[in-house]
Amino acid sequence: MTEVAGAKELSKEELLDAYRTMRTIRDFEERLHEEFATGEIPGFVHLYAGEEAIAAGFMAHLDEDDYIASTHRGHGHAIAKGCDPKAMMFEIYGKQDGLCHGKGGSMHIADLDKGMLGANGIVGGGPPLVCGVGLSARTRGTNQVAVSFTGDGGANQGTVFESLNLASAWDLPCIFVIENNGYAEATAQAFSSKGIDIAKRADGFSMPGVVVDGHDFFAVYEAAGEAIRRAREGGGPSMIECKVNRYFGHFEGDAQTYRAANEVEEVRKEKDCLMLFRRRVTSAGLVKESELDQIDEEVKNYIDECVREAKAAPEPTPEHLVTDVYASY
Amino acid sequence: MSGAVTVGVIANPASGRDIRRLVSGASVFDNGEKGNMVYRLMVGLAAVGVEHVLMMPAASGLYDSLERTLRAAAPAIAAEHRPMPDLELIEMKVRHNARDTIYAISEMEHRGVAAILVLGGDGTSRIVARHCARDIPLCTLSTGTNNAFPEMREATVAGIATGLVATGRIGDEALRREKILRVGLNGDAHHDCALVDVAMNSERFVGARALWRPREISEIVVSSARPDAVGLSSIAGLLDPTSRDAPHGLHIRLAPPEDAEIVLTVPLAPGLVVPIGVNEVNRIEPGASVELTAGVGSVALDGEREIEISAADEVEVRLDLAGPLTIDVSAAMREAARRGLLNGSL
Repeated sequence: MTEVAGAKELSKEELLDAYRTMRTIRDFEERLHEEFATGEIPGFVHLYAGEEAIAAGFMAHLDEDDYIASTHRGHGHAIAKGCDPKAMMFEIYGKQDGLCHGKGGSMHIADLDKGMLGANGIVGGGPPLVCGVGLSARTRGTNQVAVSFTGDGGANQGTVFESLNLASAWDLPCIFVIENNGYAEATAQAFSSKGIDIAKRADGFSMPGVVVDGHDFFAVYEAAGEAIRRAREGGGPSMIECKVNRYFGHFEGDAQTYRAANEVEEVRKEKDCLMLFRRRVTSAGLVKESELDQIDEEVKNYIDECVREAKAAPEPTPEHLVTDVYASY
Repeated sequence: MSGAVTVGVIANPASGRDIRRLVSGASVFDNGEKGNMVYRLMVGLAAVGVEHVLMMPAASGLYDSLERTLRAAAPAIAAEHRPMPDLELIEMKVRHNARDTIYAISEMEHRGVAAILVLGGDGTSRIVARHCARDIPLCTLSTGTNNAFPEMREATVAGIATGLVATGRIGDEALRREKILRVGLNGDAHHDCALVDVAMNSERFVGARALWRPREISEIVVSSARPDAVGLSSIAGLLDPTSRDAPHGLHIRLAPPEDAEIVLTVPLAPGLVVPIGVNEVNRIEPGASVELTAGVGSVALDGEREIEISAADEVEVRLDLAGPLTIDVSAAMREAARRGLLNGSL
């Protein structure tokens, strides 16, 4: 057997990078949870805490010029794809030096230089975008791939079905990731769909559909590696469903009356992706506890710095209202 | 309900969706079909007098498909006075993981089911075998890929065979005591088990679970081995075919093909035929313990990585002839024919 992308053993450096990515997302989101409550942050935020292993597991296989299309819950995807967390924090605070000059906010963070096509306020909006860039990559003859992220609610949108059909019909190098956290806003999945396994829908579009545990970085990493390799080599699209839990509400301020009282507490105790990752890499002797502790410390300080600077940064001035209105290509 | 014969049904809605669909073109088995299989089982069970079916709740469209088929068939069943068992779902919190199956089994035991029908792959069969009382007959039907233990069978016939056993009309002639591999870890002799194969491999993490990269496998122990099987046990099957009834198992040490004494061409998974190097084959006797050479890696049970280990861990495998009791559908139907049990109308 030839060595394949998904099969390669992760180096220590790659393991530490993956942990740093997950820790950065977690601290970024936990901090936003606290800061949003103070009323200083404009607009809405939807937090990715609990789902970090998915972003880290997929993005570990992507190059800078590969594309991703995110969701309203997009901070984790952006950080893992290489967007600057500080510029993101500025953006969320609506500041002039934000990644989109403070005009996008949490739900419209984008960085085309990093292949991040944007968080997206349109539920089910990502899959059509990756069909577009997937077609572009195929037409230009590059080996770029495009990955969309969609929730279990978004998975029921017509746009998603149309995209699956198009990607399949045209053999596009697209991977459709379903982050199934069990709730479409406040609606439990069983109320809105007959099937719990969304990946089974891939069968109807003649593409492979696989289910993995979205709390397990290694499970995501392995399946993602194979799907991405397949797409790069001309094998067409795949769907990967990651079963996961979110730690916070649909949006900040969501009272979450639809969840059991101890639901999140149980998940945090048993399935926390950072805890599982730490336990496994240290017991396998690949990484020392102290090395992970050091990352925790560095990330904590960095996120403090991001928030501190974002709060102090200047707002856009009225004249910025008329800039960035039109895009030029 | 007293007097009525009850049969349990465990249908795993999650089987058949692992990474092999991505890497080796493995087949897909949709939940609509699994629901239809349960309907066909019920028809078979009813035909031989089973009046009650107690089923684990099955999400993911499986139960919906069953319910729709039952609803659509109800008028004709009533008009033609055809029998159909009552269907009762176990009242339980569904977690969509193996704990559902474990809870459902305990409830079925408590309710005195006469047999349990299991729809799933090797993993589902293994969980049922591990947690089920020894004397409840199981009929395990394959709904996954690469299954060595459950059989691919028409559910209607499996339902008839199971019903004949459950109602007491056929007994030992159609029952088989299966072998089981007890897997010990660091002195805990009953840490886990496997029905067909245990494989030591160097995949460090359980990851996507299915064991599909042959270079990583260093050692296997099998309870039985057919040369026409697909999967790890087929390695053993090509070396020393070992039936389910044979009172021994096999222990095989693998090596990279370039360094091995024997090289076999093996269908390791659906869509994956690879050279496998073998250095040593030994029969293992019941009760005797085989110590596996532990390294950093994991132990796969019936083809799925389950236990992450380090070189310091001690892993041993023991062949136990007193595994689960299963229904041999072919034997049951042969006996039914011989004794004329299905002669006459329903």
